[in-house]
Amino acid sequence: MSGESGQPPAAADGCQADLDLAPTPLLEAIRNEDKTWDKLAPRYGVTNPDPPWKVSLYATCECLAAGEALPSLERRRAEDQLGETLYSGTPAPEQQLLALAHIMLSRGLLSEKDLTRCMNAVRLRLEAS
Amino acid sequence: MKSANTENVPARFNVGDRVRVKDLPNLYYTRTQMYVRGVSGTIAVRTYEDLIPEDEAWNRDDAQPEQFYIVRFLQKDLWEEYPFDNDTLQTEFPDRWLESVSD
Amino acid sequence: MQQSHNHDHDDGSHDHKAAPMVDEITDFEVLEIAVRELAIEKGLFTAEDHRNFTEWAESIGPAAGSRLVAKAWTDPAFKARLLADATQTCREIGVDWTEPTGSGTASDYMHLQVLEDTPTLHHVIVCTLCSCYPRPLLGHSPYWYRSPNYRRRLVRWPRQVLAEFGLILPPEVDVRVEDSNQKCRFMVLPVRPAGTENWTEEQLAEIVTRDCMIGVALPRPDRKADDVRPVHKANRPVPSEHHQAEAGE
Repeated sequence: MSGESGQPPAAADGCQADLDLAPTPLLEAIRNEDKTWDKLAPRYGVTNPDPPWKVSLYATCECLAAGEALPSLERRRAEDQLGETLYSGTPAPEQQLLALAHIMLSRGLLSEKDLTRCMNAVRLRLEAS
Repeated sequence: MKSANTENVPARFNVGDRVRVKDLPNLYYTRTQMYVRGVSGTIAVRTYEDLIPEDEAWNRDDAQPEQFYIVRFLQKDLWEEYPFDNDTLQTEFPDRWLESVSD
Repeated sequence: MQQSHNHDHDDGSHDHKAAPMVDEITDFEVLEIAVRELAIEKGLFTAEDHRNFTEWAESIGPAAGSRLVAKAWTDPAFKARLLADATQTCREIGVDWTEPTGSGTASDYMHLQVLEDTPTLHHVIVCTLCSCYPRPLLGHSPYWYRSPNYRRRLVRWPRQVLAEFGLILPPEVDVRVEDSNQKCRFMVLPVRPAGTENWTEEQLAEIVTRDCMIGVALPRPDRKADDVRPVHKANRPVPSEHHQAEAGE
C-alpha cells in the first residue's frame, strides 16, 4: 500500500520559503479575462491557437532554469499552486505567464517597481512602432 | 556522464531484483513521489549513472553519482482496490532510494 | 502565425489580402516582454541564450517522433537498434539528445527510452512532478499533459482517464503507466494498425500523431490529426507532492 510521510519537508540550506499566494496589485490589473488569446484571436479572425509570445515565454522559463535563477521543479510547483488558486480562471498561456511573474516577484527576482517601469517602457515602444 | 570514479558508483541492483522504495526524509528537490514510498517492485531497467537530483540542484559536483533504475510496480500494490491484476506502473529511482526485498 | 492568403489573380495583380492579425497590444504581451527584458537586465540569463532557446523551440514538433515510429514499423533492424539504445538511434533521424539545445546545462544529457506496445500491453506516459516530455521528438507538450488533472489522475485511474480520451482498452490488454520523474524521457512505439499494409514510411508517419506517442490514442489508418482536448478539473487528485494532500474531493 502507498506510504505517506506525515513529516513536513526537512529544512535544508537554501530551502526556499513558501510561495506567497496573495494577489499582487500589478498582476491583478493585468489579469483581464477579456483579453486572453482564446477570446482575442477569434475577434480578429486569427486561427492560431497560441499567442505569438508563447514560445518566448517557454524560452524564458527554460533559461531561468538553466541559469539556476529559478529551477524547473520549483517553478512547476508554483504554477500548479497558482493555477489551482489565484489564476484558476485564466486560460493556459496567460496563466503560465502570470504565474511566472508572480513567482519571480515572490522570490525577489524582480520588484513590482521594476516591472511597472519596464512595462511602461515596453508599451511606449510597441505603440510607437 | 559525470562519474569520474566508476568503481565506487553505488549500483546494487540488477534487472529482475525485487526492491522496495525507502521513505527517506524529504529534501526540497527530491523526485521520489509519495505514492511509491514503502512499496515493493521489480527492477525493469538500469538506465544511467548520475548525480541525484538533490546534489545536482545544490551544485555539489564533487558528490558521488549513483546508478539509476526504472522500477516496475503492480498497480494493485500501489492503490487500494485496483481491479486489473496485471496493470503496472514504472518510475525511476537513484540507488539510495531502494532497498533489497527477499520475497 | 497562420497566413490566410486570397489567391484571386484574375486581373494579373498581386494584391494579397493581408493575413488577419490581432491588432491590439495587450498587457499580457507587454508583460511577457518586460519579464524577459528584466531578467536579462538583472543577468539571470543572456539575450543570446534566450534567442538560441527560442530558435530551437520553434524548430521542434512531433514530426521527428512520427518518422521514428514509421521507420521502426518498416525496418526491423532499425527497430531493434531503437529498442536497444534509443538515445543513440535517434541520431539516425537527425535528433541528438546530448545537445538538444546547444546551450549545455547539467540536465541536458537526457536518456530516451522507447516503450514498445504489443497487442497485450499498452503504455501511457505522464510526469506527475512537473511535465517532463520528450521535446526533441514530440515538440511542446499539450496543455492537458501539463495539467494537475491529468498528472494526478493518470497514475491512479489510467483506464478511466484513457476512456475520457476515447481510448477504451479491453481487460486482456495490460496498461503500463510510465511516470517520468528523473532524466529518462519516454515515447510510446504503438502497434502498427491493420489496414496499413504496403504503406510507405511517409504514409505511416502521417497517422502517427503526438497523442499516439504519449499513449492516449491509437494510430488509425483514417486519422492524421489529434482530437482537441478539453481540460477538466481533478475531482480526486492523487498526492505525489511532499506537502500534505488536500483533504476531500
